[in-house]
Amino acid sequence: MTLFKKLASALIVITFTLPASAAEKLNVIASFSILGDFAQKVGGDRIELRTIVGPDSDAHVYEPKPADAIAVAKADVVLVNGLLFEGFLQRLIEASGTSAEVVEVSKGAEILNDPAGGHYHYNGGKAVFHEAPLDPHAWQSVANAKVYVKNIEEAFCKADAEGCPAYQANAKAYGAELDALDKEIRDTVASIPQDRRVFVVAHNAFRYFEHDYGITFLAPQGVSTDSEASAADVAGVVREIAGQRATAVFAENISNSRLVEQIASEAGLKLGGSLYSDALSKPDGKAATYIDMMRSNLATIRDAAGS
Amino acid sequence: MRKFFYAASALALGACLWTGPALADEDDVTAWRLFVSDHAEPVVNVIDALDGDKLDTFRIKGPASLYRTDSGQTVFAVQGGAGAVSVISTGIAFHDHGDHGDIDVDEPELLDTTLEGSKPAHFVERQGNVAQWFDGEDKARFFTEKAALEGKPQVREINVVAPHHGVAVPFDKHAVVTIPNPEDASKRPIGARLVDVDGKQIGEDVACPGLHGSAGSGSLYALACDTGLLLISQDGDVPEIRHLPYSDKLPEGSSSTLIGGKGLQYFAGNYGPDRIVLVDPSEQDAFRLVQLPTRRVHFAVDPIRSKFVYVITEDGQLHQVDVLKGEIAHSLKLTDPYSMDGHWSDPRPRVTVAADKVFVTDPLNGKIHIVDARSFEKAGEITVEGKPFNIVAVGGTGKAHEGEGHEHAEGDHAHEEGHKHD
Repeated sequence: MTLFKKLASALIVITFTLPASAAEKLNVIASFSILGDFAQKVGGDRIELRTIVGPDSDAHVYEPKPADAIAVAKADVVLVNGLLFEGFLQRLIEASGTSAEVVEVSKGAEILNDPAGGHYHYNGGKAVFHEAPLDPHAWQSVANAKVYVKNIEEAFCKADAEGCPAYQANAKAYGAELDALDKEIRDTVASIPQDRRVFVVAHNAFRYFEHDYGITFLAPQGVSTDSEASAADVAGVVREIAGQRATAVFAENISNSRLVEQIASEAGLKLGGSLYSDALSKPDGKAATYIDMMRSNLATIRDAAGS
Repeated sequence: MRKFFYAASALALGACLWTGPALADEDDVTAWRLFVSDHAEPVVNVIDALDGDKLDTFRIKGPASLYRTDSGQTVFAVQGGAGAVSVISTGIAFHDHGDHGDIDVDEPELLDTTLEGSKPAHFVERQGNVAQWFDGEDKARFFTEKAALEGKPQVREINVVAPHHGVAVPFDKHAVVTIPNPEDASKRPIGARLVDVDGKQIGEDVACPGLHGSAGSGSLYALACDTGLLLISQDGDVPEIRHLPYSDKLPEGSSSTLIGGKGLQYFAGNYGPDRIVLVDPSEQDAFRLVQLPTRRVHFAVDPIRSKFVYVITEDGQLHQVDVLKGEIAHSLKLTDPYSMDGHWSDPRPRVTVAADKVFVTDPLNGKIHIVDARSFEKAGEITVEGKPFNIVAVGGTGKAHEGEGHEHAEGDHAHEEGHKHD
């Protein structure tokens, strides 16, 4: 083949390849369902999204699958919460060998220290202590959710400059919805009497909600690495319930309710329904999106308070 | 015992001068130990995996299969012929603190605790709960690793109908046990049954004809059958068992030995003598076959580089199988051929992984071959008296806080001979 022919065939390849790659969607991995929703809101139809830890699932105990690693290997952007939320993250990134940017979307959010050094998860009939000196559940504050969205917008713009105006427009529109949500939460909480604002959860994932909106959540506290929530932990929260006159006990979508039922029974409180903490519901559930999740939690709290 | 490492790494050189656990960062301590049983002699040798030094030799009652627990604190030496199970404290323990883990390093120790019974066989440990199966008994025994380490295992027994070659999988308040073939208990079990701590059956039996082979991967435990895998999980108060049938796309065959991925949730099993099957139960297309050049002798998962499985085949090659790609990534000739013809329990190589090395026993040559897991090149070998056979590794890196007495003083264990570095 002459040099001219080689160049000509190369040009033909380029000519046929460019439109195809331009039409390709940004390949995005979100580590869990709430980030997946944020990513879809910002990315719209310009992204191809895969969420690793799906609805009603607990990221703390998730075991990554080979298919996850294969997907991460092909990703353009990997969105993670960070703050030791995704215990599987390092293993997955290493196994995938990905060259994609791994974006910690909680960066820049107002992060709370956890004085207990961590919190319990309840899976498989067991209490598992999740050591995390910085509370990772930052999305339970809508103000922080806006930081997440901003970080996602910037990550998408960096990976796909051509799509940046669309990402910015989507993020702006979604930001307005989040502002409205924040106001709605504040207004609703304001309608709840002060003495009906203490509740009990098993998994202490609502400290940001407490911090931003003035609802108090009591939970068994753990400071050791022992995997079981001890009788002392439960007794401690039952004493606190009595001392602070808690209104109701909530179950959670990612855990079984055995422990909270035990706490409710020992404290003589009613079960006030289920809150969504670390995961959305399935699409046909009450919390298929972040905004629906926060609204569902708000309604559950309001109803339990009897407001 | 002779040993040499091809590459004189800084770590290995450090180990020449100082016989305690290797120091990486200021307060990081790395310690890895190999536990190696002999094919003919009733011994377990303990070898420092970082420098090849023999740390100790434990005399037990008979040649043993070795099993390590998830925590790495304990190795169980199951001596089928001698009717005994010995308990070895590895001397290495980790304490997770979320953003870091602490390591305690002490002497390995053969504990006084021994379980005796007829034909001890399959051993399963999950989350600190142990189930020891005895082929010659109609009861499976259950206890905790913690109690075994403390020297007083409170053994709980659950009736398994009749003596048979089965397995029990322990949960906190339940167990899954195999169901013997009602016509002939000497044949393979026909299914699995969930029982509570008193042995009372819960729910329906689950059919699993030809059951043999079991492994855990994360929260899932799998049992292999002629028809597929039984997958046991526990999301609520009670474990659940579901059947994952083999894909119609697979050729005729089944698995009878399984290993479970660490870091990634998958299983690998034999599928005929010269193929392995990779199983990702979360996928619609859950099974992928990998053809081997010759018959499989042994395999092991890499717990650190979690996408790799190592398979030694009878032609003496060690293969690095990429679980993501479903293919052999690299192969390396290591040993003389070990034919799979002959008795199933003839001395043949076994594989384990410690830190960044793969260790392969070569019983007929009295050696353990060392392969660098990253470059997949031979990195040295350790000469071991007798026929080094079954091998497990425990260890890792953790923080040792000042004043906690984690570290060994120099000379804690003696070098038998000098090192040879090429």
